[in-house]
Formats: sequence, structure tokens, C-alpha cells
Amino acid sequence: MQIDAFLGPKILIVSGKGGVGKTTVAAALALVAARAGRRVCIAEVDRKGTLPRLFGGGRLDYEPKELSPGVWGMNIIPEDALAEYLDVQYHMKRISKAFTSTHFVDYITTAAPGLKDILILGKVWYLEQDRGQVFDTIVVDAPAAGHMLTFLSAPAGLSDAVRVGPIRRQAEWLAEMLRDPGRSRVHLVSLAEEMPVSETLETSTALEGRLGINSGAIFANGVYTELLDDAQRETFEKVMADGSAEELRAAAADVGLTLEDEDVDALVAYSAFLDSRREIQRKHLRTLERGVEQPVIRLPFLFSAGLALPDIETLADVIEGRVADL
Amino acid sequence: MSAIGDIVTNKRIVVCAGSGGVGKTTVAAAIAVRAALDGKRAAVLTIDPAKRLASSLGLKELTNEPTKVSKRKFTSAELDPAGELWAMMLDTKSTFDKVVTRYAPSAEQAERIIANRFYRNISGTLSGTQEYMAMEKLYELYTEGDYDLIVIDTPPTRNALDFLDAPKRLTDFFESRVLRWFLLPYMKAGGGLMRIANVAATTFLRVVKRIVGAEVLEDTAEFFGNLEGMYEGFKERARQVAELLKSDVTAFIVVTSPSQDSVSEATFFAARLNESGLPFGALVVNRVHPRLNEPIDAKPRQLSRLRKGDDTSVLLARLLENHDSFMRVVTLEEENLDALARKVPRHRWVRVPYLQQEAVDLPGLHAIGDQLFTT
Repeated sequence: MQIDAFLGPKILIVSGKGGVGKTTVAAALALVAARAGRRVCIAEVDRKGTLPRLFGGGRLDYEPKELSPGVWGMNIIPEDALAEYLDVQYHMKRISKAFTSTHFVDYITTAAPGLKDILILGKVWYLEQDRGQVFDTIVVDAPAAGHMLTFLSAPAGLSDAVRVGPIRRQAEWLAEMLRDPGRSRVHLVSLAEEMPVSETLETSTALEGRLGINSGAIFANGVYTELLDDAQRETFEKVMADGSAEELRAAAADVGLTLEDEDVDALVAYSAFLDSRREIQRKHLRTLERGVEQPVIRLPFLFSAGLALPDIETLADVIEGRVADL
Repeated sequence: MSAIGDIVTNKRIVVCAGSGGVGKTTVAAAIAVRAALDGKRAAVLTIDPAKRLASSLGLKELTNEPTKVSKRKFTSAELDPAGELWAMMLDTKSTFDKVVTRYAPSAEQAERIIANRFYRNISGTLSGTQEYMAMEKLYELYTEGDYDLIVIDTPPTRNALDFLDAPKRLTDFFESRVLRWFLLPYMKAGGGLMRIANVAATTFLRVVKRIVGAEVLEDTAEFFGNLEGMYEGFKERARQVAELLKSDVTAFIVVTSPSQDSVSEATFFAARLNESGLPFGALVVNRVHPRLNEPIDAKPRQLSRLRKGDDTSVLLARLLENHDSFMRVVTLEEENLDALARKVPRHRWVRVPYLQQEAVDLPGLHAIGDQLFTT
């Protein structure tokens, strides 16, 4: 598949359960889009702060700023979005101050569930409408709600709760934006673990069915890559057959490397560890791949405990490679 | 004895908290399983709709009422519990209904509230409701006195701190002067005079009404009207719950993974517990990649010669690369954990390495229990 076809519409929403690496995938997608020559804005919500750390910058604000060539970052703060909405829609700059300074947003978003999500999606919609065409692609790092459906079904939910008035109309605009494959695409991020997989399956079913939202790809994040191919595995078993691993030591000695007993043990143990983790993952990946129609893009487990820009670049490379194979 | 063993021996309530995806539910279940094996009547209350927890305990499903894990399940796993294990899953909506019924002055009023559309909207989804109801259920289980130990995991909030603020946020919300002031013109009791007195409020309401529609405001006003007179009950209960959580029968266990995000959240969380006067019990560092030896210092030149060599040399190169990858992640995790140790002393920690199987059944939970209780 061509990368442009994969990237598709202007709005890319990246959704996933908490802890699956959603922000990482969103950042990698933004890089892929930027490499394809698009001007990209990546939006985090609710001051999470992971994104600027990935790009090595300071805090993000409501106003987009350039993080790396072609990639802008912003933070969609619901209070700011509401103030902007009231100002643009009702020219109520002064009243909007009262809204945002008295915790009123807290109360009103509590009263109308999902309103916070609506405000976020509303800002995305507003960015999409921008006639200046500042951005070609807007990547939204969706909030890690208790469940990913909470965010994506907010417009539909609000339409049910509010029957009349401009809010209802606008909620419908947002629902349309999410349903139109020419305007937006939702990518889901999962891990090869039970809970994330079952939630991803549930979300994917609801998106395609009840909500009528097109989902793009499903990213299976943190997948351990196979260490040995079949031939190497055969060699491994032969070498380890008598348990002494003499041949390994000899091969090491040939290049001037000394392996202690505990080194050999660790080499074997880490390879066994990888195998057992892969075995667990394989089961869940199978469930995931059987359960969805969308392509499942496996992203490798990166051996680092806290990601930085080079890792994001690696993931962007992988995505480009996988997309070419689709 | 590990920090966890100490808690299970001396406490009646264990609250497992931490950011999403760190294994809270599994840790909670493993603690309850161990307590049951050790002769306690233990209950585990989960918030996550974790189907696996039910199946790993050999139950078809979990409900809002405790279900006992049969002795047979233990026996077939070659375990012999001296106590009992009960498990349940929070149903936010029905717990909320029960709260309303308890505090409503009459059955009719309770019915009116439960039928209100605004209530129906918020009772399942209002942020903080789940947390509040989890505490409510916990309090109910504790005061009924049927269990020696109650272990509860906390909801998957956007961040773990939300959970601590939730009950207060919710009671504040119900009591909100701002909200009631804005809604006054809609409240029947307000009467005509109030309507005139509150010109500012009505102007404001006109705007809100234009935006969300009159129906929403009416539903909301009706809800708050019906809630009149129940605030004291709510507040009193919230106070009792807070007191119980602060008392010495309770211990909080913070669960984290060694990743940077999770560690920084755990650090904040532990600090917040202290500030709030809540008893921090122990820190579980879950899913740690094990360190098996020191780095093997293979030079790039040696590796590239191995890669060009015979089958055994190529194999060795792969094994060395894999070893190096693990060393890298182990080192980074240790750096994160060193940062954590500066905030939470290590003797309060329990480390659980990445196990080679999942905790999909009682033996799996038991294996995690071994790690938790024998550090």
C-alpha cells in the first residue's frame, strides 16, 4: 500500500487503553506523515506531558508549536476549547472568562457526560475546518479514558442526551466527522496481552457497527521479535544437546571473547525468556488478528524503559515497511 | 516477612492503586488468594471488568455480590486453603441506586431520583462515580464484618491521583453552590422572587439553555431538587469512608511497572498518600526484567566476525545481541527504579519479575503470591 493511501484523511485519531503506548504510536504516525511531506500537528489532551518528552521539548500549549521539522505539537485543553468556542460562536469573551475561572467547566462537564470529549473533538473539528490549511494532517492522541469507546462515542452520546439546540447540531457534526472515511480515520493501539486485546476487539466491533466509524489499522505494540530462525534454532538445540555449550565457548574464543559459565547460562536464559514471552504474545495476537478485519501492524518491543526520539524514528521505519507490505 | 506479608497479617483493608496496565487487578487477586490459603476469610473486589480474573478464579462471572471460590477449585490446583476466598466486581449503577435508596427520605423520592434522566446519565458515567461507589461498596463490606481481609483494586482513571480526589469531587458537585445558584430559576422551591433576584443567573442560564436545550436543565434541576435533604447523609458517609481509609486497619499498596511514566506516577501517588494522611503500606514493582549477570563485553568487531562465521558463530552472535538488548532494558529499568528509591525507600518495596507464564489460573496467581510474600 502507498503511504499516502495509508495515511488517508486529514484527521488521524489514535486510541487505546491506558498503558499500551498510544502516545508513542501517535508520535510515530506523525513522523511517518511528516516524512511523506505532510505538515503535521500532533495534539495531546489534558496535559499528559508524555509527548513533549518524546520530542525533547518543554510543555505544550493550546497554540501549536514546531517540535521537529514538519511536526507541530499542541495540547487541547478543554477549558481553552470552551472559551474559544464561546468566543467564536457567541462573541462572549467576558462570559467565557466566568466559565473558565469558576470551575464551571467542571460542573457543566460533569452534568453533561462526555462534554469534555466533545470539547476536544470540537477543537479538532475547528482545526479541520481551517481555511488557511495550516496542517495537512492532525494526529490526535486520544485520552486514555477507562474505556476507549468513551471518547469515540461521546458525540453520539451527547446527541442522545441533548435533543435540541445548537449543541445537538454540533454534536452531530462531530459524529459525521468521525463517520466520514474521507475526513477521519481511527487507529487503535493494543498490546499482545489479554485485557488490551479484548478491549480492542470490543471497540473495533462497536466502531464498525453501532458507531459507524471507520477504523484504519490496529497496532499491536511491544511485540517481541523472533530471535532465531528455524536453522539457527536447530543449531541451538544441537549445541545445547549435552548441556555443556562447548561449541559456543569455542566460537567465542575464536574471536577472542571469553565466556564464563554464568555468561553462557544468561545467554540461554534470556533466549528462553524471550521465547516464553513470545509464546504468550502469540496466543493473544492470534485472537486479535482473527477478531478484526483491519490490518494488524505489529510494532517491535524496543529494549528501552522510556522512549525517546530515536525510538520513535525506529517505529516510524517499521510502520513504513509494514505499510509497503499491506 | 515481606512488606506485603506484614500488611496481610495486620490489616483488614488493602487498596491496590497505580496507573493503567501495571497489573493492579492481578496483584490484588494474588494477595487475596494467599490470604485465603493462610486461613483468612478474604474477599477481592475488582473495579475492572476483568473477565480473566473471574476465569482465573474458576468462576463464570463476577457480580456485585461476593461469590465464593469453591474448595474444589483450590484442590484441583493442588492448593489447600485454610480460609476462604470470595470475589466480586463492582456494579457502579446498582451500588449508586442502593445509596440513593438508603438516603432518600421516602421510597417515592428514591424512585423519582432513580427514574430521572439526568441521574441515569450520571450514575454510570459521571467522573468520580465509580471511585465513590467503589469506596461505598468497600465500606459496606467492611462494616458488615464478614471478612478478615478485603482487597480492592482501583478504577483505571486517567491518572491514579484522580482516584483520591473523586469522592470529594462528587460530594462537592452535589453540593455545588455555583450549580444550584445557576439552576435556581428552575427549582420549584425557588419561586418567583428568586427568579427576579437572580438576573445574572438567568442571563447566564439563557446562554446555557440555548446551548444544551431546556430539557437538560429541567432534568438537572429536578434531580437536584429531589436530592434536597440528602446531602447530609452523603457527606456523613463520605466522612466515615475517609476515616476508615485513614485508620490503621487500612493499607495502600501502590503498584507500578519499572517504566518511566509508571514510576513517576507511582512517586507522585505515594507522596499524595502521605500528604492526605492515608496509610501507605508497600510498593509493588511489577514486571521487572530480571538481571541474570553482568554485561558481556563483546566488541562490535568481534560480533561482526561472528556474524560472518559458521552456524554456531552466527547463533552466538544472535544470543549475544539478545543478551545485550536485555542488559539495556535492565539497566534503564534500574535507573528508573533508583530514581524511585530516592522517594520511596527500598525496604517498602516488593519486586515481582516478569514471570514466564501469565496468571491465568489459581496456580498462576499463587506463583505471583510467592513473589509478593517472599522478598
